[in-house]
Amino acid sequence: MTGSPNALCFGDACPASGAPCHVQVEANGLTISLKAGDGAQHAEAVPFSDIAVSAGGLDHDQLVVKWAGAHGARTLYLKDPEVIRAFRAAAPGHLNQPFEQAAEQVRQVRHRRRVAWGLTGGALIALVLGLWFGSDILVDVAVDRIPVEWEQKLGESAYRDFLAQQQIVKEGPAVAAVGEITQRLATEIPDNPYKFDVTVVRSDVVNAFALPGGYIVVFTGLMKKAESGEEVAGVLSHELNHVLQRHGLERMVKSLGLLAVVSILVGDQQGLIGLMKQVGVELLSLKFGRAQETEADLTGLRLLNWAKIDPAGMIAFFERLSEKDDGRVEWLSTHPMSAGRAERLKTELAGLPKKSPEPFTFQWKAVQESLGAVPKAS
Amino acid sequence: MKSEVLYPGAFPMVRVDLTAGEHIKAESGAMVAASPTIDIESKMEGGFLGALSRKFLTGEKFFFQTLRASRGPGEVLLAPTVPGEIVVLELDGVNEYMVQKDGFLAGADAVKIESQMQSLSRGLLGGEGFFILKISGKGTLILNSFGAIHKIELKPDQEYIVDNSHLVAWSATTSYNIERAASGWVASFTSGEGFVCRFRGPGVVYIQSRNPGGFGNWIRQFIPVSE
Repeated sequence: MTGSPNALCFGDACPASGAPCHVQVEANGLTISLKAGDGAQHAEAVPFSDIAVSAGGLDHDQLVVKWAGAHGARTLYLKDPEVIRAFRAAAPGHLNQPFEQAAEQVRQVRHRRRVAWGLTGGALIALVLGLWFGSDILVDVAVDRIPVEWEQKLGESAYRDFLAQQQIVKEGPAVAAVGEITQRLATEIPDNPYKFDVTVVRSDVVNAFALPGGYIVVFTGLMKKAESGEEVAGVLSHELNHVLQRHGLERMVKSLGLLAVVSILVGDQQGLIGLMKQVGVELLSLKFGRAQETEADLTGLRLLNWAKIDPAGMIAFFERLSEKDDGRVEWLSTHPMSAGRAERLKTELAGLPKKSPEPFTFQWKAVQESLGAVPKAS
Repeated sequence: MKSEVLYPGAFPMVRVDLTAGEHIKAESGAMVAASPTIDIESKMEGGFLGALSRKFLTGEKFFFQTLRASRGPGEVLLAPTVPGEIVVLELDGVNEYMVQKDGFLAGADAVKIESQMQSLSRGLLGGEGFFILKISGKGTLILNSFGAIHKIELKPDQEYIVDNSHLVAWSATTSYNIERAASGWVASFTSGEGFVCRFRGPGVVYIQSRNPGGFGNWIRQFIPVSE
């Protein structure tokens, strides 16, 4: 054989896996040398006029050369790029079109493959993005399917656990005032499935929080800081709306992850109870998201308006809180800055129907004084 | 390098005779016994990234072992993990074989092993996975199968249909398309074949007489489930 093999020859006398042969490009054809069955070298000159070319092989990346020679139909598989280039340069005009077609075929196969992988990659990315951003929708759907009774059981156990370690204000003007505010707000909620349970806890923390199922805790620190019943009503209205919008559940389902969402959607509620018990302990540490805070603010404001409690109190209170907010970056906090909240509320208030506020039956000053004077609860 | 398949059938072993200084590469764990003149080294074929891609993409072993007759001539006995036949091929430098990921047992040092991505439809439905081994170069190549190995010889443009998961190796000059086994979707799956590969020659296709996945499903029913 002249030169090392650079192609595979298929035909009647060749083995099925192809006979290695050497292809030489000449001026007017190809010279193919291969070892015949008897071991002797055998060279065949094939003029260009007898040759047909196409693309072939597993990845359509080989040049297939066919001709009918003295030994029957022969097929040659060429892969060596240098031989292919030389062949193409030497080939006469009538082979240009087949060559172009073969090249086009190779390009098409590669293009199709790239498109297919691109589409798959795109679909995967879309799926991940969809789960990432669409998870809110999934969470909403899942939360809608959780019965209120569950929510109450869940909230109640966390509520009892929390209160067991706190000093509860059991009676007095503060409890009565909070009760009155809650009553006025709750009667304005259409189809309210929750029975609100509000407890005043003795602590200097300026805060109040809501647990799923309608359990609300107000700290005396917040009541001392508030300058009117309307301000406390603003905070309570905000917290009631966290309950009504089931924000606590949403956070829980989110932190339980997609697994929980799926198990709710497919109805495997047994597994979910187990999961929820695990995180029930962490319920108190759950923070609401920024969107949830804004939602509770706006719906809270509307509720105040319906209940004929002056919404200006809520806004004033947030403005006062915002004075402590200096230096906090809104984006980094799970709570939007109070100043921003107050602004948003003012805009919302302007769009609400005007209602003349009705005052509370209690005197706020007396309530605050009672907080200073009330003996320590046991 | 000379090789001989011992105990042909379900539990074969291959004996490779190495002259002094000669070496072969084999799937990690393939060596059963060797002369004391043989040194075993482990090597990441194709460099670290090549080995990594082979490991993660084809599921083949990260390391190949190199068996070197460094202290004089000797022999090595090699065997695959699964019961099944062994076939010895000679690569001439022009021939290329695509080998399904568990098919490689051993090869001469000049045999080149790369992992190659299949097209989407072949990867998804062909039963060989998205990545297969492309084996080229010169010298002896030893493949193993699950069950017996059967060789199908295809003339140019001759077609043959192989159930997916029965492929061991095929020449790069063949091409194949994935299609349904029967003309209807329901019949395709109720016939138990699902998808098949339609091969078109010229070239050689090596198939295995048993389907590893099917065997796995069958044996699963006998495995006691622990609580």
